This record gives sequence, structure tokens and C-alpha cells, in this order.
Amino acid sequence: MNTLMYITLRNVKMFFRDKGMFFTSLITPLILLVLYATFLSNVYRDAFTSGIPDFIKFDEKLINGTVASQLLSSLLAVSCITVAFCSNLLSVQDKANKTVNDMLISPLKSSKLALGYYIATFFITVIVCLVTTAVGFIYVYSVGWYLSFSDVLLILADVLLLSLLGASLSSVVSFFLSTQGQMSAVSAIISAGYGFICGAYMPMSQFPEGLRDALSFLPFTYGTSLLRNHCMNGAFEEMKNIGVPNEAVASLKDSVDCNIYFADTAVGTDVMLFVLIASVVVFTVIYVLLNVFSKKIKK
Amino acid sequence: MEKIIEIENLSKSFGEVKAVKNISFSVEKGSLFSFLGVNGAGKSTTISMLCGLLTPDFGTINVCGQSSEKVKDKIGVVFQSSVLDMPLSVYDNLKYRASFYGITGERFQKRLNELSGLLDMGEILNRPVGKLSGGQRRKADIARALFHSPSLLILDEPTTGLDPQTRKTLWQVIEDLRREGLTVLLTTHYMEEAADSDHIVIIDSGEIIAEGTPLELKNKYTKDTVTLYGVDEKDVKKLGLPYIFDDSYCKLFIENTSKAAELIGNNRELFVDFEITKGKMDDVFLAVTGKELHGGVSR
Repeated sequence: MNTLMYITLRNVKMFFRDKGMFFTSLITPLILLVLYATFLSNVYRDAFTSGIPDFIKFDEKLINGTVASQLLSSLLAVSCITVAFCSNLLSVQDKANKTVNDMLISPLKSSKLALGYYIATFFITVIVCLVTTAVGFIYVYSVGWYLSFSDVLLILADVLLLSLLGASLSSVVSFFLSTQGQMSAVSAIISAGYGFICGAYMPMSQFPEGLRDALSFLPFTYGTSLLRNHCMNGAFEEMKNIGVPNEAVASLKDSVDCNIYFADTAVGTDVMLFVLIASVVVFTVIYVLLNVFSKKIKK
Repeated sequence: MEKIIEIENLSKSFGEVKAVKNISFSVEKGSLFSFLGVNGAGKSTTISMLCGLLTPDFGTINVCGQSSEKVKDKIGVVFQSSVLDMPLSVYDNLKYRASFYGITGERFQKRLNELSGLLDMGEILNRPVGKLSGGQRRKADIARALFHSPSLLILDEPTTGLDPQTRKTLWQVIEDLRREGLTVLLTTHYMEEAADSDHIVIIDSGEIIAEGTPLELKNKYTKDTVTLYGVDEKDVKKLGLPYIFDDSYCKLFIENTSKAAELIGNNRELFVDFEITKGKMDDVFLAVTGKELHGGVSR
């Protein structure tokens, strides 16, 4: 147990000391912030206001709070996965520069080594994403806060769950990588592409139907939607309170992916939660099996 | 003499390439054992199998009478390139690596103080490994390899790239450790370092092509050289031996030292100012492999 703690600490420290790795992990959230700051926030602001009947007086604070909550949900949905991938690249880097040999010649069990990367990735992702969440909350508070205490708790729980999903998925992918080139390629693909496929850069409701149907098979889709539901719940409740018709609110929810459909059936947040937990279990089992079988093959 | 390493019929292939072909050798406890060969000769593959990083296709490796997999805490390795974590301090590197051997807390601190004194590295303990000079980094590598007090220290080209002064300092440390009973297995490009070994194995294309003490190898594969000063070429010619004549000296090549002594005894008037030099390890390597070693690359 002591050894596991030390190897995990080593991995966490390596991530925060390695400036390249740390800043790479922040690229995707930065892209997202720039996108929102430059044009997305205006696009969504227009989308929200155009969806509301003219006779309803819409507070500027509510619009700003709604857009900010959407930004927060996108930011967290992306960060939980991309930070996990960047963090887990340490395991690839250790293979690429042969540092792993220094560990394998010691009595340290390879299972502890693998677990050390997994746990460290989870911790790093949680640390970075909780800081991101805190900054996001401050921003939302400054422009329009509609979150209840339970919303905040649910968002924090979502961050933990998505970080675990990121840690398990990145562990499986990193297992197959062993060179700097592969590492850079995966890092670039995840940083640039993940924001699109999870619906963070642009809601999936705006994607072509075929692509939307394909993405409904991916667990990340439900991670983004779950976070969006919890982040925007307060704003939507406020809209109902000021008299926005339920149909209009439902339409808004559809447009920002709070409502996700699998084969034309609406997916509830409880099902989203189940999909995410099941995905974590599946990816973790795959990671364990990969380590067990690779050890047997080596022997 | 007690054997610390016993290797029998060891073979390893990578696809079609036979890296190590049925080699057998043993290493006596407390000795300095050198393993020589050009790059690609099979040295690193053999050492990787010895450390448990690679599994042999055939053959057995015993360290201290047991399979090397079971005695990882008895082996310390200084790799050709440093495998320490560059962003972390020497202290952190040693702390995390020591934990792999169950050395933590007071035991860690005690051993750190011992090694810090032995290797004179008090000043570099808190500096990141990536910011150290080549010699300082090598000291950290050696400290890491020795931290768990191994019985066998494997040095894989430990002085490559170091300046002569640092090389000398490191060899002094290794000599001190050997006096305390440490067995050292060395691979090196520097033939003068191998010349101080108790036993040498030369490997080429995965096969052992020569082995013995430096003296045995020199006697078997090289000629003695007698350098004469202040002689006439016509007098040297009469001896009927191969020679090189220069204005200031003449070099005679003689089968061995006893024949040189006989020649000197029979030609007292000619051998007034002279010196006898044994063949060098470079000559042995050249004679055995047909290749010269220049930084590990054969020519």
C-alpha cells in the first residue's frame, strides 16, 4: 500500500512539474474559452432570446447566467477527459524514455505500477477539474447565478465521475502507446477532436442526424448532457418561474443537448448516470485484463 | 570461489534476429566482470534478461542461486542513459525509487546520508535531475542503483560522455564499493576500464568469442612490443623480427614476454635502453572481433 502511495505521488508530482504536460492538458479548455469569448456566447445568446416569446420580459442576468452555465458544462465535459489523457501520457513517456525499466527492475509489481498510473491520472484530473469548476463557479456567479446547492453537489459528482471515465479510458488507450510520436498524435487528436464529438464546442442538436445518431452510441455524449442538465437546471427553472412556457424551455433544452435521444427515445439523467458508471467499469476491466494478459504473454 | 551469476545456454531472438546465441558464463562474487562488444553485439539484451526486463527464449539465469526474477532486490543497475525523472529533484527520485524496495522513513534518511557522503552529492540533492551536469547525473544514477544495497551492480557503459576527471572520480567510488565486497558487471567502450577487470567476456553477433583475465587475453591475442632507443636499423634487422624503425626509436614485435626476455638475454649489447610493453585491450578486441571500438561503434 505504501509503495502504491509513493508511485502515485511520483506520478502526480511529475505531471505538475512537467510544464509541457501540464500546459498541453489546458489547451482544449483554452480553445473553448476563446471560442466562447469570440463568438459562441453571442450565438447562444441570440438563440436563447429568439426562442422566447416577445411578451415575456427576459432579464439580462438570466441570459448571461444561462450562457455562462452552458460554457461551464462544456468546459468541464471536455476537461475531465482531455486532462486525463494528458496526465496518462506520463505512462507513455515513461515507456518512451525507458524510465519504466528502472521501475521494472525493482521488486515493484507491475500491477501496482499500472494502478499507480490509473489512480494518479484520476487524482490529477480531479484536482485540475475542481480548480476549473471553482473558477467556473466564480464566473457564473459574477454574471448570473441560478444554481441550487444540490445542483452544485451534482456538478461536483459529475466531475468526479467523468474524471474516472477519463482515467479509465485514457489508461486503456495509453496501454497501446509506447513512443513519443504516438503520444503526440493521440494528444493532438484528443485535444482537438474531443471537444467536437462530445458536443462541447457545438451542441449535437446542430449536427446532421446521422452523426448525431452515431454519437449517441458514445458514453461521452451522456457525460456532456448530464453536466449540462445539472449546470443549466437553475437557469431553466428560473425561466419557468418568470413565465416562459414549458414548451419553449423544452425546446431550449433540446437545442443545448440537455435532452438527448437514443433511437428517438429520450434518455433520462438516471440512464445517463448508469451509462457513465457502466463505461467506467467496462474500461477499468479492459485495462486490468490488458495488464494481466500482457504479463502472461511476456512470461 | 562463490559464483554470484550463473548463465547457461542463454538465447534470445527478436523475430528473425538472433540477438543472443546460446551463451554461458559465470561471475565470481566480489569480482569486476567486463562484458565487451560493439553496439548490437548482444550485451544489452543479455543484461536486460539478467535484470528481468526480457524473458530468455532458452537457457537459465541464476543470481545468488535463484532466478533473477526472485532476487530483484539484490541487483542494482546503472543504465546507459539516465532513467531518473528529469523534472524531479535527486531527493524525490531517490525517495520514490527507494520505496519500490520498501525503504521509507528513517531507513531512507539513513541510507541517503550514507550515499550522500560516499558520492559527495549533498549539494545536488535538492536540484532537479534535468538541471545537473553529466557527472552529477551519473552520481545520482549510481546512488539510485546502490540505494537498496545490492550484491550485484550492473554498469551499462557508465562513463560514456563523461569528462576524464568525472570518469576517474566514478571509478574511485566503484573501487571503494568493490573493496566492501560488491560485485560489478561492466559493459564499456573504454578498453582501459576493462583492463582492470578480473574477468572479461567479449561478445560478437550474440556469441561469446573470447573470455579470460585481461592478462590471458593479452597473452593469447596480442604480441609484446619492445621499444629500443639509440640503435642502428642494420643491427635490428639482424634479429629477423618484424619491426618499425623511426629516427628516435625502434619497435620490435615479439610473441610473448618470455621470448622477449630470451631475446634480450642473447643480445645484451643491443638492448641497452629499452622498454617492454604488453598488448593493449584495444589490440585484443581488434584481434578477436576484427573490429575497433570507437564509442561503441565498430570500424
